Amino acid sequence: MGRMRDEGGGGDRGGPRGAQGPRTGGRRRFLFRRRKYCKFCEDKARWIDYKDVRTLQNYIPERAKILPRRISGTCATHQRQLMQAIKRARTIALVPFTSD
Amino acid sequence: MVRTYETVFITQPTLTEEDERVAIDALAEIVSSHGGVFTANDRMGRRRLAYPIQKFEDGVYTRFLYDSEPAVPKELDRRLRISDKVIRHMTVCLEPDWAVAAKEQAVRDAQIRAETEAARAAGLLPEEGAEPAEGRRTEGREDDEAEYEERD
Repeated sequence: MGRMRDEGGGGDRGGPRGAQGPRTGGRRRFLFRRRKYCKFCEDKARWIDYKDVRTLQNYIPERAKILPRRISGTCATHQRQLMQAIKRARTIALVPFTSD
Repeated sequence: MVRTYETVFITQPTLTEEDERVAIDALAEIVSSHGGVFTANDRMGRRRLAYPIQKFEDGVYTRFLYDSEPAVPKELDRRLRISDKVIRHMTVCLEPDWAVAAKEQAVRDAQIRAETEAARAAGLLPEEGAEPAEGRRTEGREDDEAEYEERD
């Protein structure tokens, strides 16, 4: 799956270059991708406050959905706490349920 | 068993300051009369709601942080639901180890607030109120002068 995506990405860039060029491009991009990490683990935040809208806002993209772990890189424990905090913030209208 | 609870509620933005204070004091009285001990009773202030509630776009947030038996939040919840001045409320029971941190934070916040208020009382506020206005006026004058110069 991963390799296919890389080739596709390289293909967009390389265009008519032939088979080898695009593939190296894809690999290079993979090498330079920054490693994701859990920001809450780094901060050693003991708990995620549902009233702290500024922090929560980082995990609520445009459509007001909760940002998945595979994108933010948050660890499982903190993702669970984050989810709880966002849902609480929603009930007291600090954070939207939806936005269009 | 005594636990730490945090209740946040939103009151109507159309209330007068006095009505609001009376309503909040009545709610605080419920907590203390049933044996709850307050750590924080802060007015988080008026802010825009993320979505309209009862057709209100704004709301005044108030937060209670207190230690009590579970009967207290139950009674408080009942009263909050009856009150039509309160448009939304939520009570959270804090985990014991989080509760300690939350209480420390609340005490620290209260201290900071008291200090800023003291600073304002000492005479910083009137200066703050006066200086920007003067600043704006002078800026305006400068702009006017610049315009005249350009015209000349």
